[in-house]
Amino acid sequence: MDTQALWLTLRLALTTTALLLLIALPLAWWIASGAGAARALAQAVVALPLVLPPTVLGFYLLVALGPLTAPGRLVIRLLGHPLAFSFEGLVVGSVLYSLPFAVQPLVTGFRAVDPALLEVASTLGASPLRAFRTITLPLAKPSLITAAVLTFTHTVGEFGVVLMLGGNIPGATRTLSIALYDQVQDFNYAAANRTAAVLLAFSLVTLIVIYWRGAERRPLLG
Amino acid sequence: MAETSPLALPPIASVRLRHGIGLLTVDVSFRLTHPWTILFGPSGSGKTTILRALAGLIRPKSGSILLREDHRQVLLLDTESGVFVPAHRRNVKLAAQRDTLFPHLSVRGNIGYGAHGMTGDGTKFDTFTEMSIEQFRLHGVAHLPPSNLSGGERRKVEIARAVTSAMCARDKTLLLLDEPFSGLDARLRDDLIAHLRKSMESFNIPVLSVTHDVAEAFQLGAEVIKIADGKVVQQGPVDVVLAEERLRLLSQLGPADSPDLSSEPFLSG
Repeated sequence: MDTQALWLTLRLALTTTALLLLIALPLAWWIASGAGAARALAQAVVALPLVLPPTVLGFYLLVALGPLTAPGRLVIRLLGHPLAFSFEGLVVGSVLYSLPFAVQPLVTGFRAVDPALLEVASTLGASPLRAFRTITLPLAKPSLITAAVLTFTHTVGEFGVVLMLGGNIPGATRTLSIALYDQVQDFNYAAANRTAAVLLAFSLVTLIVIYWRGAERRPLLG
Repeated sequence: MAETSPLALPPIASVRLRHGIGLLTVDVSFRLTHPWTILFGPSGSGKTTILRALAGLIRPKSGSILLREDHRQVLLLDTESGVFVPAHRRNVKLAAQRDTLFPHLSVRGNIGYGAHGMTGDGTKFDTFTEMSIEQFRLHGVAHLPPSNLSGGERRKVEIARAVTSAMCARDKTLLLLDEPFSGLDARLRDDLIAHLRKSMESFNIPVLSVTHDVAEAFQLGAEVIKIADGKVVQQGPVDVVLAEERLRLLSQLGPADSPDLSSEPFLSG
């Protein structure tokens, strides 16, 4: 069992989940608060990682964040190294890759909150922000939990983006899924077996928890 | 309000609105001069639209709303000069017709919601919340979530929430009640009206309530603005404006008994 890869994977998943919730909350609020072409475009872009091969996303990020582009050069100047083949690069890739898994449940959850409740809150003197904090967010709490758990699990399970963007550097970019691939390449089936079992058990337990909680509520995505 | 001559002061509110909603065009102009005014009219005549415009929940196509607060007049809406004060900055509190209790808060949390966001004396606001719970006789259920309440209790919480928020407001507030007593049995309605009257009089809060119930209008004994098809038909004391409706209601009941209108749950278009 590659414990270094295990800790790296957990660190990556936690960082991604925390960052992604910060990004997804306002984004989902905006998408849920109306209709129109701009919001449809935003939703489509957010949903892209669901249908794109992860290698495509990884390739574009590799190019976009490399020394060939202005943002890439800026990052190199700020960090002292390119984003590609570093832990920070993996975080950026994971955030984009898991975006739909955070945004979609939140949009569904926010839309399910009765607008009449928000109207009443406003006549009671609550600013839109306070109404969001005290009415929308508590009522959408199950969706918030779903978003966090899905993002975490999805990040633990990602492979293509990590491989394209991070390579296979122990302690920096070698996550469990990459370690598993490596172990198989080395014909080390005993180790591969243990790694695969850990990933399988983790995913299964997480999904059981979500469906258990969600059984009396609403579907996960959509 | 204790003023002997309400005309000596500027009106509580001057309202001019024009707003299309569906097939109906609401086009009204009226002044509120009494402590309790009733918007009377059939379903679909535009009463709720008027309340929602006053509360700031819809932005009318054209119009103006001027509200008298303690020592000043506040312009809430003026489409010509582009003034539109958003709902949360208006001193106008609305108890909607629909059930809109916050399901994740207790009865106490609901009633105190408007008080909690206020800047000022927190303990005073808590006192107001407890006072409302006491006055509306909700102390037995104050800790429960709304889903555990009966329909009548939910109605009471809905009204108590708007009332408490009005009591806590720094400046004078206008309280809007959309069919506050519909679907309640006569005893509960009498009870609620009595509580409301007491609270509103002691806090000097003017009320504009909506009804299509003749008996209720007479029971409140207030100034009436009669609405039909989005227009103001007549404004004046209840026994003048609704004299015809009252006769019709009495004749339906038959000449033999002279019922006490105030205690029977009659409905009339």
